[in-house]
Amino acid sequence: MVPPNIKLTFVSPEGDHTEIAGPAGHTVMKVASDNGIEGIAAECGGSMSCGTCHVYLDAAAFERIEAPNEAERDMLDLVASARQPTSRLSCQVVLGEALDGAVVTIPEQQF
Amino acid sequence: MQSASSRFKPFAHEGMYKLFAELRPNVPIFYSPDIDYWVVTRREDVLATLRDPDRFSAVNATQPVTPWPAELMQYLTEQGFTNESVQVACDPPRHSRVRSHVQGFLNPKRLQGYEAAVRALVKSYVEAMKGKDVVDLVDALTYELPAMTAFLLLGVTDIDPRRIKSWTELRVKLMHGHPTYEEQMAAGGDLIDFWRFSCDLVEQRKIAPKDDYPSWLLASRGGDDTKLTENEIKSLTFALLLAAHETTSNASANIIMELLRRPDDWKALGEDPSLIPNAVEEGFRYVSSVVAWRRQAKVDFEIGGVSLPQGTKLLLSLASAGRDEATFENSEVFDIRRKNARSHVAFGNGIHFCMGAPIARMQVRMMIEELTATFPRMELIEDEPIEIAGVLTFRGPARLPVRLNA
Repeated sequence: MVPPNIKLTFVSPEGDHTEIAGPAGHTVMKVASDNGIEGIAAECGGSMSCGTCHVYLDAAAFERIEAPNEAERDMLDLVASARQPTSRLSCQVVLGEALDGAVVTIPEQQF
Repeated sequence: MQSASSRFKPFAHEGMYKLFAELRPNVPIFYSPDIDYWVVTRREDVLATLRDPDRFSAVNATQPVTPWPAELMQYLTEQGFTNESVQVACDPPRHSRVRSHVQGFLNPKRLQGYEAAVRALVKSYVEAMKGKDVVDLVDALTYELPAMTAFLLLGVTDIDPRRIKSWTELRVKLMHGHPTYEEQMAAGGDLIDFWRFSCDLVEQRKIAPKDDYPSWLLASRGGDDTKLTENEIKSLTFALLLAAHETTSNASANIIMELLRRPDDWKALGEDPSLIPNAVEEGFRYVSSVVAWRRQAKVDFEIGGVSLPQGTKLLLSLASAGRDEATFENSEVFDIRRKNARSHVAFGNGIHFCMGAPIARMQVRMMIEELTATFPRMELIEDEPIEIAGVLTFRGPARLPVRLNA
């Protein structure tokens, strides 16, 4: 059992902050869903087929982790809320040391 | 539980929703002796199973419910039928390898590129109805149109869509239906024709690549069998020739029927087309064309307090999941303005989530847009009950007679 020691702060579209710790190896999508964070639809359940788990990372965290691959970048062209430089699909962002302390902002809409 | 087992008729669609509504509160899972499957009734359990490929295998997803006779298997082998399970009915790591290639073509962005072509197709079918009084929408629209869209993806121009439809129906019956021995044996020749058509398509693209799915897969393979084999590409093409239209034909007919049963809804969509995308999602929730999907347990497991052994076969009721009160308030009510309609499971979930979902949604939306705009006073003619044609996993109306009132 991996200890949940990677800290994330989720920010809702209304600006509410929720701090959560999740285990390394899990995706941001899964940690959000496991902790009842709303607004990440993830209707394909993490298979990069729907573009409904869109989030914005804080710029520093975005730079610290591996960049999105081409398939994810393509999908980010189609997300419902405006794409920003730090947009990611939360199903593709895996918790690890580099993500510790990240601020994950949830967009207004997922579809 | 006993009563659920005897009351559930896996191949009959009449009364299915009513039975599941009764069962869901107290019977999360029950055994169906007719098919030797355990039936899962709640959305939460259906999702958890679909999202757990480590514990639940997809190998049985398209297995014949009624096993094929040895003579048929032998005939198919002799005739060079080498179709492999590479997609819906296979597990990681093979599934991950194959899907990574397929995703390069069947992804939302690329599928969006077909908008104009699909719109033109829908318009041409709707145009052909003009001037008529009574039309069967299945015959005039929903049966053929998705096959024509599939042909766009496959670059096919030289075959009657009705031929593909009839080959498809046969395959569906062989996999998910309960054909007689005679029907199974008689199907062999057609199945081989269908397989050879798929193989020929791939062979042609090897010589002269086009901007289509088989050409994309061949390029993605780059001659490397460790990436993707030619036989896998033939199998993927054979799969798409079924999957790309069968479910959309049924889905569009199911959804249009529910809308026409509620003339106020039909009128509302004509007056405000911005309501249509959500109405489509509510349709997928309320009357999914894929009513159930199959899995097999790789380990001992527990669902709904029932412990079952490795090897247990599961029938996940997507129809029941879409009506689950735990997620959908007044779940038995069809509400085109429902806020969380998109939480349905009509396209599955997890690593096998339907890769054609964007173009299926697009087609159903456009059919409703064009129909409500052109025939705002269209009426369903339900003089006699409309038969729901179905197998274990799929359902849709056999006909949809309407008065256009143009």
